[in-house]
Amino acid sequence: MTDEKITQIPDAQAIAEGAEVTKEMAAAYTGSTMDTDKMWIIMGPQHPFSHGLWTLKICADGEIVTDADPIVGYLHRGWEKEVENRTYTKIIPMADRLCYAASMTYTHLFCMTCEKALGIDVPEKTKYIRIVADEINRLQSHLMWLASVGTDFGNYTVFLWSTREREYWMDMNVRLCGARLTTNYPRIGGVRNDVFDIDCDLPNDEDHSRFLRDLVRCCDHFDKALWEIVGLVDNNSTFMSRMLGTGIITREQCANLGITGPAARGTGIDFDIRRDNPYDNYDQVDFDVPVINSGDSYARYMVRVEEMFQCTKIIRQCVQKIKALGRSAPYRLKVPSKIPAGRTFCTLEDPRGESMMYLHSDGTDHPYRLKVRSPIFVNVSASKPLLEGCRIADVPIIMAMIDMCLGETDR
Amino acid sequence: MAYRSIIDYVTANWGMDYTTYTGYPFGAGVENLPYLISLRIWECIGGAIAWLLDLLFPGAVTIDGYDIDVSAWLIDPYTCVIFALVIFMIVIFAVAFIAVLISLWEERKVLGRAMDRRGTMIGMWGFVQCVADGLKTFMKDNVHSTRIDKMTYWWTAALVIGTSVLIDCMVPLSGRWFVVNYDAGLIIIMGLYALAPFFILVSGWAQNNKYSLIGGIRAAEMMISYEVPMLIIIVTAALLAGSLNIGDIVAAQQDVWFVIPMCVGFVTFLICSTAEAERAPFDLAEAESELVEGWQTEYGGMKWGLIMLADYMRGAVSCGMIVILFFGGWQLPFIDLMQVCKDLGPNFFWVPIPEVVFLLKAWFAFFLMIMIRCGVARVRTDSILNLGWKVFMPLSVVNLLIVLALKVGGIY
Amino acid sequence: MTMEYLEKYRDGRHKNWKDLWIVGPIFRTFKLLVKTTIHRPVTVLYPYEALWNPDNYRGRPALDFNKCIGCGMCAKMCVCNSIILVDTPDDEGKTVSRPQINIGRCSFCGYCAEYCPVDAMTVSPIVELAEFTRSDLIYGPRRLAYEHTTEGMKVKNEVTLLSDYLNGKGEIRHHFASIDRPELESAKCISCQKCKKVCPVDAIVMEEHGKNAKGRPILWPIINNETCVTCENCIEACPKDALHLKEVC
Repeated sequence: MTDEKITQIPDAQAIAEGAEVTKEMAAAYTGSTMDTDKMWIIMGPQHPFSHGLWTLKICADGEIVTDADPIVGYLHRGWEKEVENRTYTKIIPMADRLCYAASMTYTHLFCMTCEKALGIDVPEKTKYIRIVADEINRLQSHLMWLASVGTDFGNYTVFLWSTREREYWMDMNVRLCGARLTTNYPRIGGVRNDVFDIDCDLPNDEDHSRFLRDLVRCCDHFDKALWEIVGLVDNNSTFMSRMLGTGIITREQCANLGITGPAARGTGIDFDIRRDNPYDNYDQVDFDVPVINSGDSYARYMVRVEEMFQCTKIIRQCVQKIKALGRSAPYRLKVPSKIPAGRTFCTLEDPRGESMMYLHSDGTDHPYRLKVRSPIFVNVSASKPLLEGCRIADVPIIMAMIDMCLGETDR
Repeated sequence: MAYRSIIDYVTANWGMDYTTYTGYPFGAGVENLPYLISLRIWECIGGAIAWLLDLLFPGAVTIDGYDIDVSAWLIDPYTCVIFALVIFMIVIFAVAFIAVLISLWEERKVLGRAMDRRGTMIGMWGFVQCVADGLKTFMKDNVHSTRIDKMTYWWTAALVIGTSVLIDCMVPLSGRWFVVNYDAGLIIIMGLYALAPFFILVSGWAQNNKYSLIGGIRAAEMMISYEVPMLIIIVTAALLAGSLNIGDIVAAQQDVWFVIPMCVGFVTFLICSTAEAERAPFDLAEAESELVEGWQTEYGGMKWGLIMLADYMRGAVSCGMIVILFFGGWQLPFIDLMQVCKDLGPNFFWVPIPEVVFLLKAWFAFFLMIMIRCGVARVRTDSILNLGWKVFMPLSVVNLLIVLALKVGGIY
Repeated sequence: MTMEYLEKYRDGRHKNWKDLWIVGPIFRTFKLLVKTTIHRPVTVLYPYEALWNPDNYRGRPALDFNKCIGCGMCAKMCVCNSIILVDTPDDEGKTVSRPQINIGRCSFCGYCAEYCPVDAMTVSPIVELAEFTRSDLIYGPRRLAYEHTTEGMKVKNEVTLLSDYLNGKGEIRHHFASIDRPELESAKCISCQKCKKVCPVDAIVMEEHGKNAKGRPILWPIINNETCVTCENCIEACPKDALHLKEVC
């Protein structure tokens, strides 16, 4: 840092007018010309900032970070090898355990891959139910992220307010499939149970699905509650001063590193699989994809928060469509237990980015090889460009903005 | 000796004015309530012992031709002064300690409610949780790394805790509840206050831990940037009152609290003293999200427990300073509480009304600090320095100018 | 569709961020402080209060001992291999085969309840399962009993046939145990009757098809479609792979 050009923290006015924030604008904080020793600081695997077991080695020159080196693999369970010995049905509960924060997405992805391999198009109602389940999981994952961001900021109010709101979505999860985190809900060819079958003590005709009714109520409540949390964070100079202009990456870096999801949309890459390569019935649902050009921590934060608002919109629309389809519409198809030999590739928009599954089947009832592409494994490799030039105090916040989830990273 | 019952021994000196005893440390005629309490406690203990001795071994014992009457010695006013001083220390510490525990409990409950949870729930609306925590840390093993610099490691921890306890005990609770009554009392408290970050810096180095080192350096950074505005505001208050003596400053706020003329200074001082006590959002030296536990990383068990207690004691001192400087100390506007106590009569003049008023105000100041903690995130090092030098320093000078204008204008 | 939040803060995002704008958030938390002091906080005092759980909540599996037919479907579907079948005396003292669950291995996926053909295995809302030893975590068939079973705890496994769906008859639903049936490749059958012995519902009767060279009767299994539960025990027991599951889709 000693020989780099000294510039100011990005000018507020210029960015507000749409200027691109460059690395140089944000990087330099200090003008010292002293000879200093660099110090490697090892954060993790047991460190309050690492949400899960991973290590981040940072090289610090005083308070300024000059290099970073992420180390993952502490949670490696041999997932991909283990599923090779299981039938396709038995892989579904295991796919839950890939990402504990949003288990539905990976189960959904696995079932989608198998359906694609079988050449089955699942019924309309199943697609909408899966979208609802996905969005509930996206919401609870983002809320958990917001909560952990709060603790990284040293503010526990955000943590508790977010987890409080997350509880409502957890309750929805419980009522939908009977478990809070490991949902085990999608099945190959459908979903586990119909949304109309929940709460048996009521007359369960189309107008009496208590689950769908409460889902809409939850959305209404959540929109208000999220504005409260947003008002606590976004109207707060202590939060803003730490997010604005830190951890900047450019579009080019983002593309080269393979960063996906909210982190990529925060740098101005306008891509969301749900809209641009729609799976299930996302093309029937009207929603916006938030994109911001500035590429700093705050951009990534804003993209995620706006995604939460969009989630409730998607859920509301899906509830209408499910009600229109009615109770009698099929939700689960009988599929063969054996998948014909071949290779299938499927991709899905995870709360954290693009997750993909590559299935190599050999005609038996268990996969020959099942490869998982986790967005976080790729995103975390961007630690160095993200952290270069920031302060040690900013490390937790910048790394929180990529929302670590070690279950899927190490598999 | 004409004493017969234990009552006679205990009440032997009750007719005398305790402020005129030989060796009375606070000056003749100066009342000191905790000293009086400790004196009475000693009279009970000493009188009981004296009565027992006289009962078992009546009369004076003669050794080498001298009459040694232990019973008479025990209830002699001069002896009482010395023993009462020992108890005085315990009384002063116990009150400060319990006040700190209550503020700890207050923080847990208020913080909990503001976060939509309940806070601690163990006994007495959660107050007993402090005791449980204390016991827990007390039971812990005394673990430390082998590669520490032992002398500095232990001494700095002891000194951080020691100075914090010392200054907390030095904060007077009222005109009759004090340890020392210097003319430069505020400056002395501030001077001792400013020592702690220095020990933290050394301690951070002594622990042979990178997190501790960074934490220690951050503490030093903060000390440099926040001492100056705080001292300017203290001197401004002294200017307004015409004295640096705590009693005089409080007396000057009899009718109008200084928070009104020095409203700018109050806000500045509130935030600066939060920083000085290293409480969130200024707890950079122990920023747990990036530095694990900051400069306390290598201190475990009871050491950590005591350091935590010392943190809260410094917080209590900050609140005490706010009360003294801005909230009129132990006084309420338009009521002379000391007179109220005197009017209760010779048997009840000790009822600690002004002391409780002071503590209530201090807890209110602590409540303000808790609310700040609820709403904000931890501030980054560079923003802290920016704030300290570019915002609070000018604000404290503005405050000084306002006070000067008031002073010159003849309002004060 | 608009992005309300993004539009609000995109323009005003840099406004005043260098100032000490903390009064608004502090006021927000203060409002909640007042609210939770007057009313109660949202938290639930867990050991004394409990959250409401819906019927389909997946706690530990529960078993209706007398309803169970001992088909072993739960053990077959168990993801964690936590279920085994053990021989137990039933109410009349007869030895029957019933599942035993090692809760320490259970992942609470609910497959056992879902794939139980007779709804003997259900989910239950019991989650307080801590024990002092690992052997205490093993739940025998009798210990698995749960008396307050409701309809909602019996996880349904209704499927629509793919062929029905493609033909536009998607509303027809079948119980999963009523679709697939074992099919005999009679050339391979050696008349050993093992399939008849392992069938938990006695759905197999051996039908005579003449005599072989040694004069012994040639017996082929006939499967009763009404009572068969698709447990595949006969397929697994067949020493000559003469039985196959005929999957109907």
